[in-house]
Amino acid sequence: MTTELAANGKPFVHNHGAHCETAVTSALFRYQGVDISEPMIFGIGSGIFFGYLPSVKLVHLQVTAFRNRPGSVFRKAAQRLGANLVIKTYRDPQKGMNELRQVLKAGHIVGLATNLYWLPYVSERHRHNFGGHNIIALRETEGGFRISDPTFGDPVDCSSEGLEQARFVPGPNNPRGFMYYTKSINPHPDLRQACIKGMKNSCGLMLRIPLPIFGVRGMRFLAKKIIKSEDKLGFEGACRNLAGTVRWVEETGTGGAGFRYMYAAFMQEASELFGSEDLARLSRDMTTIGDTWREFSVMSARIIKQRNKTEATFANAGGLILKCADLEEAFFKNLQKAVKKLKA
Amino acid sequence: MDIEDEIFSDGLPKAYYKHDDKGRYVLETDAPWAEKVSCALIIAGNRANLEEIRKAVLAGQKSPLCYYMELRQMDPGMLAKAAGIATFRVKRHLRPEIFAKLKPSVLDRYSKALRIPLEELKTVPNI
Repeated sequence: MTTELAANGKPFVHNHGAHCETAVTSALFRYQGVDISEPMIFGIGSGIFFGYLPSVKLVHLQVTAFRNRPGSVFRKAAQRLGANLVIKTYRDPQKGMNELRQVLKAGHIVGLATNLYWLPYVSERHRHNFGGHNIIALRETEGGFRISDPTFGDPVDCSSEGLEQARFVPGPNNPRGFMYYTKSINPHPDLRQACIKGMKNSCGLMLRIPLPIFGVRGMRFLAKKIIKSEDKLGFEGACRNLAGTVRWVEETGTGGAGFRYMYAAFMQEASELFGSEDLARLSRDMTTIGDTWREFSVMSARIIKQRNKTEATFANAGGLILKCADLEEAFFKNLQKAVKKLKA
Repeated sequence: MDIEDEIFSDGLPKAYYKHDDKGRYVLETDAPWAEKVSCALIIAGNRANLEEIRKAVLAGQKSPLCYYMELRQMDPGMLAKAAGIATFRVKRHLRPEIFAKLKPSVLDRYSKALRIPLEELKTVPNI
């Protein structure tokens, strides 16, 4: 945790967060004096999700998403908490950068969507061609900007050209200069109502989408693919695919176990907010689900490293995902029942 | 130095939610072991793939466009959208004999889409 000064001299507290979008939204709210944590935003914005997209590929590996599509968590959370935001995209890079400078001068802090590949300060392992990484611009400095990237520990400096390149990238992963800042924020948001809305929405997303690639159905689909993958792709190809999946579980800013630990943290906070024993029990269930996902990634790492060959097989790894699917189906059905009893 | 240690000693740790002894969730910065293993496998694979393509370009089997496309983590479909050239044409331009005959106007579009200077686009780094 470090304190920085924003453009108008107001102190801004940089918190280390697990995920870019939720942490940025929480920082924007905190800056305006509404103390709301990262897991809370994640829960209210219905961030938890599962989607296995075999046709979308990043560097030859399939996308397995553990959260809702980029931008939706932030939009939903802002709407449910009654925040009035200005959201803009641009075609012309020059215009986008000029307006960013003007808004910073007016004393706002600005959330920006950037392409991770082009941000000058990230290292090789963070470099994906992904156009939805969120950062906060604090103020303009000489030849650049002061940036608070909540996925990293400290605020960083970023050159002006570097930021422009990251905000405007040719091709399908172009964030198109997406930027947002708060116009006004409800200083006393109705957290209970917002939590209930978020939880109900999450249950629907996980259980009711009638397509085989989303929600708990998607998990079962992925499990079947993993079990068959060794016969289809050979050992090395299957290992690479499995490593790709594990990267989506652990690495891409999930806070561990594919956002499941973060959601458990949200349930913990919500149970204190409502004083509900049901939610506290569900939080412990979510932790169990998170542990099962972690077990899956450890088992996958053993397969890759070829340790303990009798236990660590593709069939067992797929079996763990099937177990996760069953546990999550039960969890969200219980959550649906528990939410009905809550009073706003 | 091991590749796992190499890529994870970049001074930019991520945060992970973990239980503390009282059962509350707190943030820690130790990356899980499974993440290190899979990340190392993927990055080593990407590096090897890029190196293989570079050698193929030097041997005259692939065009330099293929190398720079891989460097920017794109596939022909993405590059086609970025440059405004049809996908089947991009795929053809991955062959060296066809790439050699390209007009400067087409090369210019690729150089803008990939952010590689026009001169560099015609060759690959020969280490």
